[in-house]
Amino acid sequence: MKSNERNFVKRLQKQKEDALEFVVDTYLPIIKGITHKVLIPLHDQGIIDECINDIFLSIWNNSKKFKGDATDFRKWICTVAKFKAIDHYRKARKEVEFSSVYMDMNADLSAEDEVILLEDQSELVKLINQLEPVERDIFIMKYFLGLKTEEIAKKLGLTNASIDNRVYRGKKKLNKKAASLELGENRV
Amino acid sequence: MKDIYELLNDAKIDDQDIEEMPVTELEKAKVKNTLKQSISKKKKRTGWKTNVIAAAAVIGLTVTTIGLTFPAYAGNIPIIGDIFRFLDNDKTGMYDNYKEFSTEMNLTQESNGIKITVNDAVFDGETVAITYSIDSDRDLGEELTIFDTIDIKGANGMTGSSQISKIDDTHYVGLDRMTPTGLTSENIDVKWKIKNLHLLETEQEIKGNWKFAFSLQATDSQVQLTNQSVEKNGVTVNIEKIAFTPMSFIVHYNQAATQQVQDKWHEAYVELKATDDLGNVYSGDGNGGSGTDFYTMSWSATFGKLDPNATKLIITPHVPFRIHDASNSGGVEITADGEERELPIPTKTGVGKEEFVMEDIVIELEK
Repeated sequence: MKSNERNFVKRLQKQKEDALEFVVDTYLPIIKGITHKVLIPLHDQGIIDECINDIFLSIWNNSKKFKGDATDFRKWICTVAKFKAIDHYRKARKEVEFSSVYMDMNADLSAEDEVILLEDQSELVKLINQLEPVERDIFIMKYFLGLKTEEIAKKLGLTNASIDNRVYRGKKKLNKKAASLELGENRV
Repeated sequence: MKDIYELLNDAKIDDQDIEEMPVTELEKAKVKNTLKQSISKKKKRTGWKTNVIAAAAVIGLTVTTIGLTFPAYAGNIPIIGDIFRFLDNDKTGMYDNYKEFSTEMNLTQESNGIKITVNDAVFDGETVAITYSIDSDRDLGEELTIFDTIDIKGANGMTGSSQISKIDDTHYVGLDRMTPTGLTSENIDVKWKIKNLHLLETEQEIKGNWKFAFSLQATDSQVQLTNQSVEKNGVTVNIEKIAFTPMSFIVHYNQAATQQVQDKWHEAYVELKATDDLGNVYSGDGNGGSGTDFYTMSWSATFGKLDPNATKLIITPHVPFRIHDASNSGGVEITADGEERELPIPTKTGVGKEEFVMEDIVIELEK
């Protein structure tokens, strides 16, 4: 059986390799567009190639977390691509503001490194999870996907001032929570 | 708690104003290749779930090998899913339907550190097409040819063509087309032997011993006898018959030329262009031909899949006349006692090259 427009999401979630091939065939042009736009200032084709591979590998490893149809899938894969591209950009510029999802790239890391990176990752996501749903989406869009305040406002139907306000309040909340977190503590 | 991928699910960006970039088949193949390597690496490291997938893959491969009854071959996951299309690079579309109707072989032989895998093979009743991949432990350079012998039981002669394309430093894929003559059976037994690889840049030869043997059954085909001909400028072209297969159609034709043409030119060679009444243009490959001299030849040419809605096939012969000189031609005659004698080029009155197009041959398709 082959993957097509209708069944590829299910087949991907069942970890069928032909579905991954279908995804590469269908979405490589747009993924290439997104990564190039973000990463071209670095003038490093190697980083772009690495990022593209990383995106598809994450899609493969996390396909079960996607919910929706083929149209939603296109949006999701674009969102993951943007997030990954920005992540690679930050790493390359040594301005790591957020820990990234290292899970897929950990082939050469020691066991200790893996644990530390996973801790970072899960702690940050845990912190973000404690925000209100709207604030959470704003944070993701602003810091993980690099959207401008105006774009977020338009998407959520709120005013610019309201977005800035929520970012400010959210930051304060997170700051307090992060500060009171003890070393190695996972508080939810 | 939601992880980052679930959070991204809720905060999706708009994909409207994102620009797509053009991507070649080679780029797709490279990404897929890297991904497959990463996935199989992961399989070795992680838990039971991936083991199940690996086990399933092994079972799948075992079934294939048993089916072919050649248990000596190791299975190998192909680097590129559809080599036919990959080598065509979406240009002509001639091979778009080949993969679907071909038999997946996945027979691998290793020799001298180089693995050669026969990926797919198909016999359309006229031509055998074999796709293969080469997996080497070293860089083989940009250009590569193989020296092979192919033996098809019952054939008394063969024409063929071959192409190889580089994927990355250690991977290549290729397509061989062979048209045997004198076959009567619809089942063929193919023995394919590769003796060495020739690296064109370094003039280096890598010797090895890769041997494959397999049987193929011809795809279904419907033959329509046509016997329609056109004549112009002393050249006659006759379309003898057309065979339609699920992925292609094969035109059998012959040509003849008058004495005047033979006195003036060294060579008259007929090429066919094919279209249909719906405006589809078909790309084709000549399969070679045989004949008594440069003017009287029987040819066949394979084209892509015929549009099922077409009612007429329009074939236009193109004829280039050529003059031979030392730069484009030469021949040696080998006598019975092994002596070589260079053949002189006979003098003709024509100059250089001339080409003309003949009238369309319109074939009503039988349904």
